[in-house]
Amino acid sequence: MDWTVDLSADAPPSRQLARALLDAIACGDLAAGDQLPSVRQLAAKSLVNHNTVARAYRDLEHMGIVRGHNGLGVFVSPAGPRIARDERRAGTLAEFRRAAGEALRAGHAADDLVLHVSKLRIRRIA
Amino acid sequence: MNGIVEVHGLTKRLGRRTVLQDLDLSLPAGSITVLLGSNGAGKSTLARLLLGAERPDRGTIRIAGLDPLRDGKELRGRIGFVPDHPDVYDWMTSSDLYEFLRPQYPRWSPAIEARLVARWSVPEHTRFGELSRGEAAKAMLVAALAPQPDFYLFDEAFEGLDPLVRDDVLAGVLEEIELDGRAALVVTHALDLAVRIADRVAVLADGRVAACADVEDLGGVRDLKELVGSVSR
Repeated sequence: MDWTVDLSADAPPSRQLARALLDAIACGDLAAGDQLPSVRQLAAKSLVNHNTVARAYRDLEHMGIVRGHNGLGVFVSPAGPRIARDERRAGTLAEFRRAAGEALRAGHAADDLVLHVSKLRIRRIA
Repeated sequence: MNGIVEVHGLTKRLGRRTVLQDLDLSLPAGSITVLLGSNGAGKSTLARLLLGAERPDRGTIRIAGLDPLRDGKELRGRIGFVPDHPDVYDWMTSSDLYEFLRPQYPRWSPAIEARLVARWSVPEHTRFGELSRGEAAKAMLVAALAPQPDFYLFDEAFEGLDPLVRDDVLAGVLEEIELDGRAALVVTHALDLAVRIADRVAVLADGRVAACADVEDLGGVRDLKELVGSVSR
């Protein structure tokens, strides 16, 4: 899993980490009941400070995706994968709409764009 | 505010030059503060004052409630300091150094010492004079992390390391540093390092903390560069 943080990005490191974790949970790399790395371990892996990792974990906890068990660690909640997928879907759909709108304004034909999406789907299945 | 380190109205003159003027700085427990500033801004003078190696002309310094000048002896065991250049005898080895330091630090952790020495492959029987810059930096960081101090003070401890070595060093520090109820001050020129490991950045200019920001509120290195540029000349 890639835990690097992009320092030139506008999003603060904690949000980038939360996003990476969300992806990992949405795509099944981390399943319900799986334990997340300890704050220290993830801080050392992604080279950010402890509070940054703790903040990312708190954000995910507020979303109901992970759950902290005092002293034992942080685990993906039973509903975590579903919430993470919904969250990623909502986010990517908004992004897709914006990009598609821009492409239409730039003069792409709607049919061509549909074709592009279908090709992506075929590639994914293959 | 009641931080691990509280500095109020600190003024220090060296000869005719006023290096620090009315400087206030508070380092809250549980946080890493990165201190930035151009050469000659007074960063190293501030470090020496915090260690009690210099006497302030005015102002107060308290570290864990203690005065570096008056309570120097007790305080030494509570500060984990890494100087910009190793301040040990060239003929010493890292294992000599740790043996010498262990009894002086009541909370010295042999486990942290062993983990870091293994992780970083610190040469235990090579004299400091023969260590590379990276090896010496690692050896000195072990000596600052193993004591589990109340206050970590790293004075350009990460400068001059090639990028891969620096990442390796940072990872070890982040794995072993204990911030619960403690604080750290990292003096550096590297903005990318600041964005990575700082909770807060403070910029020293004209003898005082001219700007201070939470890293979480900044948009990466670009914003930090702007902040530093806005107060430095």
